[in-house]
Amino acid sequence: MLQAENILFTIALIGYFIMTIMNFAFVIMKKEKLAGTAMILQTGILVLHTAVLVLRGLSARRWPMTNQYEFAVSFAWALCLVSLIFIRKYRFPVLGAFASPLILLIIGYASMQSREVRELMPSLRSSWLAFHVSTAIIGYGAFGVAFVLALIFLFRSRIKEDGFWGQHIPQPEKLDMISYRSVSLGMLFLTLTILTGAIWAEQAWGSYWSWDPKETWSLVTWIIYAVYLHLRLRRGWKGKAAAWFAVIGFVCVIFTYIGVNTFLPGIHSYA
Amino acid sequence: MPFAIALLVLLAAACAFSSTVTQGQSYEYYNAQYGERTAGLILALRLDDAFHSWWFIGLSAALCLNLLCCNLIRLPLLLKRSRAFANPESFISSGSGVTEACGSEPEKLLKALGMPDAKEMKTADGRRILFSVRNRPGLWGAWVCHLGILLLILGFALGQMTGKQFTVYGLPGQTKPLGDTGLLVTVNDFQAEVREDGSAEQFTAYLIAEDPAADTRESASVSVNAPASMYGYKFFQNSYGWGADIRITKDGQPLQTEAVCAGDFLAVKDKPELVIYFQAFYPDYVLIEGSGPSSQSMLPKNPAYLYRVYYQNQLLGMNALQGNEELTIDEYTVVFENPRYYTLLAVKRDHFTWLVLIGGIITLAGLVLAFYLCPTAVCAVEEKNGIWRVRAKSSKGGVLFRETFEKAAEESGFSMKGENEFASG
Repeated sequence: MLQAENILFTIALIGYFIMTIMNFAFVIMKKEKLAGTAMILQTGILVLHTAVLVLRGLSARRWPMTNQYEFAVSFAWALCLVSLIFIRKYRFPVLGAFASPLILLIIGYASMQSREVRELMPSLRSSWLAFHVSTAIIGYGAFGVAFVLALIFLFRSRIKEDGFWGQHIPQPEKLDMISYRSVSLGMLFLTLTILTGAIWAEQAWGSYWSWDPKETWSLVTWIIYAVYLHLRLRRGWKGKAAAWFAVIGFVCVIFTYIGVNTFLPGIHSYA
Repeated sequence: MPFAIALLVLLAAACAFSSTVTQGQSYEYYNAQYGERTAGLILALRLDDAFHSWWFIGLSAALCLNLLCCNLIRLPLLLKRSRAFANPESFISSGSGVTEACGSEPEKLLKALGMPDAKEMKTADGRRILFSVRNRPGLWGAWVCHLGILLLILGFALGQMTGKQFTVYGLPGQTKPLGDTGLLVTVNDFQAEVREDGSAEQFTAYLIAEDPAADTRESASVSVNAPASMYGYKFFQNSYGWGADIRITKDGQPLQTEAVCAGDFLAVKDKPELVIYFQAFYPDYVLIEGSGPSSQSMLPKNPAYLYRVYYQNQLLGMNALQGNEELTIDEYTVVFENPRYYTLLAVKRDHFTWLVLIGGIITLAGLVLAFYLCPTAVCAVEEKNGIWRVRAKSSKGGVLFRETFEKAAEESGFSMKGENEFASG
């Protein structure tokens, strides 16, 4: 089963690479057909990617989200899923062009991690694991899309209205609304992550909040996105300033995921 | 709101910065890590215990005050807005943020907007009105969310102020006092389920808590992720370590045998100034060149005990004893034996955890209301010539709602009018 997972993972990785090339070709050659093909390809890869996770879960006999490799694979999966939903819902193929390099980067990071299936330590053997980590994955995926949308927003302010970009990127007001939808999805799931994590920590360690670096950085991320939500309500700060906070928020997400484990070890060091 | 934003940014910065400073260490530690000047600064600013420092508590208190004031000020405004949202008259008279279309079949448009259950009313001059409103509770999202955060912080603060937390560790058979509670905790047994590869699957401690004053006792088993309650305290299987029996003989005669956890000291019974420090235990000892002693697995295949001996607080020596090796100090012979796990328990009593949980749930509910219940009202007014003017308002839908409305209007044969055109009523 692990061999099948490895083969599917490699195919998905190549698929993401082709998808990224295709999206680049779409924006360089300005051929809409390429964007449509890239979207179909993304749907196909998502199915493969889901199969990778299912096979991993079956071979490990647990939810496949307990180490850096598994979390990166799940993170890329959520980013792929959420971006696809947003591309389809808002008919916004340029989002795919900006999102695909990020997905490729995360899945590339996963490919560099150890794929060894390890048994879980006692504290991780809890039914809260699935709730806690899966909500984090969806939340991170949504924040990833919000980050991409913020980049598009900032990019849009530097381009001509009547060109290719002007036609394919929605008006700033709409872009801001789509970004808000993405942040709100992420915010809801991050809140769920923090809540389920606190309930689990109370059960496992006897303390629902210990100011562990992972907890602290999750809170920092939550606060940054709260600032984003407040900025959107203020005239003059809406738009660019909010977009910058969406970028900073995603930097915090990445730091919470990778940076904390690398630089600030705590009780979450296994994650 | 600028004050709230500034507070949030400050709090995020404070949390981020504090997480980079190792918490709860001594001056010596910070001195060695960052140098004398920085170490002094860390202690002066309480960065060694940042999350309990005066400035962090001050920031949190300011945020609470801000949330409270915000909610108190907004309550009457929200009540008014909520009532106005459900009132077609106020809806008609207000022109801001309204999208408008004209056509002949308002029911069709309302259905296309997913709001088919409209109430029929009449204006003061006798014209027919169809009015539909949905997701009105969404107006309360931010307010509910703020309330949840307030309760959460309040519960956390009260828990910190009134709660009790202890750490108890012991080898099977040992009895330890539970802080200043007057209770005694006996570790009856401690079992580790170990997998074939030597890694731990589960730890279970069998405990007896005793109140000597009342002559009562309670017992429970505690596993990782499965805490138990005794005497109103919650016991959590938090960690584990190795311990052993230290047997001391004097001139060949037994003097004392005591169970000692790694990291603990044992004073010799008839010579208390002679102290043995059980530094560490290696169940499967191996000496790796360059990195020192280590253990190859969790199984006690090749046990080794790292010790130090002090006399009148002066270090006499240190070494590792393997298996049943003996240590001789003058007339005393010391043997480490019977290695086994000790349990480390977190014991807690917090009467406000429920408040934190409720605060969390309310915050979550507030976010759902704020993000996913988009308050929308549609009001269709019949004109004299049989044409209906349909006006719609969405408090959070913005441009996306306008697009939806335009699409629905087009499908229903309505023509769009410029935004806010209907100012005269």
